[in-house]
Amino acid sequence: MKKRFGRMKICSCAVVALLLLCGLGAWAQGQAGSAAATTTPATTTPAMDVPLDVKAANPPSTEDLAKGDPEGTKTGTVNDIVVSDTKKGLTLADVVNQVGQNRIGINFTWTLICGFLVMFMQAGFAIVETGLCRAKNANHTMMMNFMVYGFGLFAFWVCGFAIQMGGGAPYSTLGGASSLNSEHVISFLGKNWGVFGTHGFFLSGATYDVGVMVMFLFQMVFMDTALTIVTGSCAERWKYIAFAVSSVFMGALTYPLFANWAWGGGWLSQLGSNFGLGHGYADFAGSGVVHSVGGVTALALAMIIGPRIGKYNRNGTPNAMPGHDIVIVLTGCFILAFGWFGFNPGSTLGASGNGALRISSIAVNTMLAGCTGSFGAILYMWMRYGKPDASMSGNGLLAGLVAITAPSGFVNSVSSAIIGLIAGVLVCVSVELVERKLKIDDPVGAISVHGANGIWGVISVGLFADGASNYGGSWNGVNGSVRGLFYGDPGQLVAQLIGVGTLIGFVFSLSYVAGWIMDVIIGQRVSAADELEGLDIPEMGALCYPEFVLKPEMVARAVEATSQIKSGFRIAQETA
Amino acid sequence: MRIVGILLALAGWLIPLVGLTVTQSLTARFVLVVLGIGISLIGILGVLNKAHLKNAIWKG
Repeated sequence: MKKRFGRMKICSCAVVALLLLCGLGAWAQGQAGSAAATTTPATTTPAMDVPLDVKAANPPSTEDLAKGDPEGTKTGTVNDIVVSDTKKGLTLADVVNQVGQNRIGINFTWTLICGFLVMFMQAGFAIVETGLCRAKNANHTMMMNFMVYGFGLFAFWVCGFAIQMGGGAPYSTLGGASSLNSEHVISFLGKNWGVFGTHGFFLSGATYDVGVMVMFLFQMVFMDTALTIVTGSCAERWKYIAFAVSSVFMGALTYPLFANWAWGGGWLSQLGSNFGLGHGYADFAGSGVVHSVGGVTALALAMIIGPRIGKYNRNGTPNAMPGHDIVIVLTGCFILAFGWFGFNPGSTLGASGNGALRISSIAVNTMLAGCTGSFGAILYMWMRYGKPDASMSGNGLLAGLVAITAPSGFVNSVSSAIIGLIAGVLVCVSVELVERKLKIDDPVGAISVHGANGIWGVISVGLFADGASNYGGSWNGVNGSVRGLFYGDPGQLVAQLIGVGTLIGFVFSLSYVAGWIMDVIIGQRVSAADELEGLDIPEMGALCYPEFVLKPEMVARAVEATSQIKSGFRIAQETA
Repeated sequence: MRIVGILLALAGWLIPLVGLTVTQSLTARFVLVVLGIGISLIGILGVLNKAHLKNAIWKG
């Protein structure tokens, strides 16, 4: 019993001691808390308009600056901050405003320079396409690529930009561009669908705004890239007037409509918020918006215009029609690869804030995919035909770049290399399919490079997006980062496929119907006689190479062409 | 035949759009969108292109 009482005593003592200890601890913590509370200074709003003491910044004096600054240590100091009230001197408000303007200034500069790079891609496209055509059509092909810039720009300024971006604001990296805030919405199947923007026609009214101008320039050069894709697939037989009308139509409506759905707050971008499909259709720099739109339009018009005379024999087998200058073709490919550093990294629309420092990763992804794209194509051609084909190597490079355009902002470098490699093989397979099975004549391979690989790029976002990107915490209004199927979000793949379905089903149909109507009204194709002569004189009035003696076509092809003409093609039409 | 091809292409686009509201199932939406792309491709490459090839220049 004694023992039992002894144990109880010990236990009771222990419990009391424990309680005391806990109480002591709690009391000590309370004391510390109250001490902390008493020692923490009361939060005060910083006085924004009180002049700052700038002596500590040690600004250089006027005399110092007059001596020059070879080391670069005296230039760009507190002296250079813009002061709103010179009598009062520098205030915190001035500093804060300067920080904000610096960020937007960095983003403006970045986006504009990237836009200038993309504009230079027009030169790349021009010489790639001209080099892949025969010398007798060089002036005509070059002039299509030259004027597509003007036709497209004009149409985009009149209405294309408003349709595309008129309802997409705010664009936080560019200071908001808040006047682009009107999207026409229709109610369909119980949901609201953004269809086109309505602010920004002629860049007038409230859209006369510095942020809007940056956006216009950047989007305009993208649109022109899409337009110039079509000139390649229709080269060597397209009437110049038909090309002009077609380009204006595409710059005014076809391209802006799809671009609005994807980038301007339209329904494709809302697939995530409306239907829970990942982050909605995600196309970082335009594999779908730019390249596939160009590619499927090229397909539609190439079908309407038909193949060049002599391209196919009577039994349907194709003849090779080599381009006249492989040097300018590959030089053009390099120019395009250079311009792509504006295309993809520039699509952050800034280099400061909102996760825009990812521009480095995007640039590396772009390089890698171009590299593996050319690998894929050269290996395919080498293994299949025994020679590393030069023009297909160039197309492989472009195919890799086209494919990485949509995923460049969402994937890692390993995925980029894989995407590019697949694109390089895909372009070769697609060229063979288009030429041999479908019997569609595409002199430069535009349908395969831009159409097929643009679609591959869109799909690859739905597969490879790794969820590591963060552009302001959300994409298309859905919080978090874009993830593809391989990183846990199958809904993203479905959203991407709906984008592909729209490109194939809607954009193709719109382009085809417009092209068909134009064919009926003004005619899309030049006469057979003009085509055989070469389009430089009949369409442009001057040869591209007047001092060159143009070699006659291969005898067999000439015989074939003549027989086709004799059989009545076009001659009957002309006679009628 | 050209009009049939275009109508098939458009139908292939509309099928997944309607499917978005008909079903919430991700698998069903996936199947519908793939089906739609297939129908559009048949319309363009199978029907429309065939119509163009019927009177192709090289067949003359």
